Amino acid sequence: MDFRFSDDQLTLAESVRDYLAGTHGPEVLRRLDAEGNRDPAIWQGLADMGLTGLLVPEAQGGLGMGLVEAALIAAECGRACLAEPLVDSALVGVPWLVARGQTDGLDEVVAGTRRITVPHPINPWLADSEGAALTSVDPLRNLAVAEATEADDLLLNVGALMSAAQLVGLADAMLTQAVEYAKVRTQFGQPVGAFQGLKHQLASCSVAIEFAKPVVWRAAQALEDGLASACVHVSHAKLAASDAAMLTAETAIQVHGAMGYTYEVDLHFWMKRSWALCGAWGSRAFHYRRVEEALLGGAQPIGPEHTFA
Amino acid sequence: MDLSYTPEQQAFRAEVRAWMETHVPKEPLVTLECREGYDQHVAWERTLASGNWGMVTWPEEFGGRGLDLIQWLIFEEEYFRAGGPNRANQNGIFLLGPTIMEFGTPEQKARFLPPMARGEVIWAQAWSEPGAGSDMAAIQSKAVRDGDHYVITGQKTWSSRAAFADWGFGIFRTDPESKRHKGLTFILFDLNSPGITRRPIRQLHGDTGFAELFFDEVRVPVENCLAGEGQGWNVAMATAGFERGLMLRSPGRFQATAKRLVELYKANAESASPAAREAVVQAWGAAQAYAYNTYAVAAKIMAGGKIGAEASLNKIFWSELDRAMHRTAMQLLGAAAELKRFADGSVNQWLEGYIFSLSGPIYAGSNEVQRNITAERLLGLPRVGAG
Repeated sequence: MDFRFSDDQLTLAESVRDYLAGTHGPEVLRRLDAEGNRDPAIWQGLADMGLTGLLVPEAQGGLGMGLVEAALIAAECGRACLAEPLVDSALVGVPWLVARGQTDGLDEVVAGTRRITVPHPINPWLADSEGAALTSVDPLRNLAVAEATEADDLLLNVGALMSAAQLVGLADAMLTQAVEYAKVRTQFGQPVGAFQGLKHQLASCSVAIEFAKPVVWRAAQALEDGLASACVHVSHAKLAASDAAMLTAETAIQVHGAMGYTYEVDLHFWMKRSWALCGAWGSRAFHYRRVEEALLGGAQPIGPEHTFA
Repeated sequence: MDLSYTPEQQAFRAEVRAWMETHVPKEPLVTLECREGYDQHVAWERTLASGNWGMVTWPEEFGGRGLDLIQWLIFEEEYFRAGGPNRANQNGIFLLGPTIMEFGTPEQKARFLPPMARGEVIWAQAWSEPGAGSDMAAIQSKAVRDGDHYVITGQKTWSSRAAFADWGFGIFRTDPESKRHKGLTFILFDLNSPGITRRPIRQLHGDTGFAELFFDEVRVPVENCLAGEGQGWNVAMATAGFERGLMLRSPGRFQATAKRLVELYKANAESASPAAREAVVQAWGAAQAYAYNTYAVAAKIMAGGKIGAEASLNKIFWSELDRAMHRTAMQLLGAAAELKRFADGSVNQWLEGYIFSLSGPIYAGSNEVQRNITAERLLGLPRVGAG
C-alpha cells in the first residue's frame, strides 16, 4: 500500500508540464484561435516528446506506459489547455486498440503521422473526427459528428477517466489564474486577494480540487489493474473532477470581475474546455447513475473496511 | 502507486477485527458529555489499553504499538467498522501525546505518557479564553514565576472534556510585558489543584461536555512547563497542527457514517426526495475521497514528507462532510428527526450526531480561519489587512 506516484512518474509529468508551459502558452491559444486551430509543428513536438507513443507497446516503438502515467499526462494537457487531440488519440484511442490486440500501424501513431479517434455512442460528436462539422463553445475544439456502432465499456471508461484527469488540470490552472489576478488587481487600496470574500471562495476551490485528485488517481489505478469495480471509480472521478472544475471556473470568473468577461483575459479558454469535457464521455447524470446503482444496488461494498476493496 | 495491502497488513486487519468484534460494547455508550457517559468512555479507554490498542501509533516505550500510518488507518477502519465509541482520550492520543514526544524532557515523557496510554489520566485542553477564541494570541491568563512554581491567574473557556477530566494543558502569559505570540508558555496542570474552579457549560443539547476554568493563584511546579518559558506559541502551533492534520479525524469514522446513511436511505426510500438520494451518494463519494487523500498523505509522511498548511484543507473537508451527512439524515428521518428517542426506545443517534456535527466547523480552528490559512499559505494570497 503506497498511494504515491513514483519519482519517474513525477519526473515525466514535470517534464511535460515544463514543455507545454514553454511552448504552449496563452499566446499560442490565441494564435491558433485566429489561424485555424491546429498547428502541425505543435503535434510534431508532442510526437518528438514521445507523448503520441506514451501507451504504445515498446515492441511498436512506444514507451509502453500505463493508464496511471496517462492520467498524469492528461492532467498536464488540461493544465495547458492543449488543443491538439493528444488525449483522445494517444491516451484514449491507443489503449483501447492495444487492449483489443490491434497493434498494427501503431508505429505511425508513435511517429505522429496517424491519429486515432474512436467514436462511442455516448459521444454524438468528437473533436477532430471525420463527420459533419459542428461548432463548440470551445473555439479550439474541432468538433464533428461521430457515428458509432459499438458501445465498448473499456473505451468509455478510459475516455471518462482521461476527461476527469484533464478537468483537474484545467481546474488547477484556472485557480492559479484567479489567484495571480487577485494578487495584482487593487481596489480600495489593497489587492483584492486580501479580501476574505475572495479568499474563502478560492480556498473552497482548493478543497474541491485537492479532494478530486486522489479520486482520479485511484480510478486510474483501478482501471489499470482491471478491477471489476473500476467503472464505479471512473464515474466517481468524473463527478468529482467535473464538480471541482465547474466550481473553479465560476469562482475564477467572479474573481476576475468584469475582466473575466472579456476575451482579453486568458481564463475563457480553460473555462470553455471545462464545460466541454464535463459533458464528454458521459454526462454528470450518466456517471451519477452508475455510482448510485452500484452503491444502492449493493454491487459496491461500502464501509470503513472497503476503502480499497 | 500500489493500492493493495500486503499479507502482513491483511493479517493485522484480521487481528484488529477479531479483537474489536469481541470487545466493542454491543450497545452504544451514553454520550461522553455527561458523568455517566464519561465514566463509560473512560472504562472503554482502559479496556482498549488492556489489549494494548489505546495508542497504537505511539512508540512501544511509551505504551504504544509503534504502528506505521498505514497500520493506523487499518486499525481505525476496523475500529469504526465495529462501531467503536468516541475516544475520551482524544486530547491525549493526538494532541498532547505527540507534543510531549516532540518537546518534552525524558522525565516528562516518562511521567506523563504511560499513564495517558493506560487510560488512567484523561486530559482536557485549555486554549480558548473569553477574549481569545480564533485569535489565540490574545491570551491574557497569567502564569507568574514564584521560586519553583508558576502562579496561574485567569480564565479559560470551551475547554473540551474539562468537566470531568483529570489534567489539563494550555498556554499562559508568563511575560506580563509581552504582546501577542511572544511571552507565552505551555503548561500542564492537575485539574484538581487548589484554586481551580471548573464550571461546566451547558451545551445546546443540554449536556455538559466542556467547561470554563477559573484559576485563582493556582500553584503549578515549574517542571510542568513544556519546551521552556516563552516557547508556548511554537508548541501550541505544533499541537494545533497535529490536531488539524492527519489524525484528528480518521476516514473510517466518516465512511461508517456514510454506510449508515445508505442504510437509512434504503429504509426510507419511499419517502425520500431525489435530492436526498443524491446527497447520500455524494456522501459516500466524499467519504471515500477523504480516505484516499488520507492514504496519500500517510504515504507522503512515511516517505519522509511533512503535512503543513494542507491540514487546513482536511479540516474544512471532513467537518463540512460530517455536517452534510447528518443534515441529509435529518431530512430522511422527516418527522422523526426531532425525536430524542425513537418509538422503540433507541437513542436518535442522527440527531445527536447532527448537533455534534455543527461544532466541527468551529472547533480546532474555525473553518473561516482554515480558509484564510489555505488562501494565504497554500495559494499565496496577501494576508488579511496587508495593503
